[in-house]
Amino acid sequence: MVKKMPKLSIIISSDKLDKLYPAAILASTAAAMDWEAELFFTFWGLLALKKDYEPSEISLDYAQYKNALIKAVESGSMPKWKNLIKEGKEKGKIKVYACSATMGVFNIKKDDLEDFVDNVLGAASFLSKAKDSQVTLFI
Amino acid sequence: MNEKIIVVDARFKSCPGPLIALSEAAKNAKSKQIVKLLATDSAAPLDVKAWIESVGHKLLKVLEKNGVCEIEVEIR
Repeated sequence: MVKKMPKLSIIISSDKLDKLYPAAILASTAAAMDWEAELFFTFWGLLALKKDYEPSEISLDYAQYKNALIKAVESGSMPKWKNLIKEGKEKGKIKVYACSATMGVFNIKKDDLEDFVDNVLGAASFLSKAKDSQVTLFI
Repeated sequence: MNEKIIVVDARFKSCPGPLIALSEAAKNAKSKQIVKLLATDSAAPLDVKAWIESVGHKLLKVLEKNGVCEIEVEIR
């Protein structure tokens, strides 16, 4: 019998690095553990999925730690958040969803988004997927 | 039992680097093959145990010397 693996659902609502990294680390770890992971990028989080845009800001409260994070990424000890998600998608079960309401508010088109975005969803669709999750987070 | 041990060197990689490298190696390994992870991330032994519980391999040994964890896993 195939073991039913747990599922992780994360809502990402910010394009600041201090939010994107924890979300990407948890999603990629879930994928490595053979879990499913669903990421719903909404409001300012959705900006992080725009093509040709590399989020580089950290929340002001944590400004003093920005260089430490950049150094960790440059040294290779910490992968880039986007690569964690992309590679996690290639190897495991990560789904990336864009919030339809945000796309309307910020005038973002599907073509503006990274190719690894699986679908554009509304809140009801995401909630109905997330209701089966054992771990649900809002970041 | 004499299958060559696969060594995964994830020293100086922070979480989740070691676990991702280990799971990648595990996917390419044969059943009963041993994969040895080298990691400096202090949570690696606990993380590997949690991963093993999830995916079903077998933990053979955990050793720590000079700040480097050596973790051997037998692939299911």
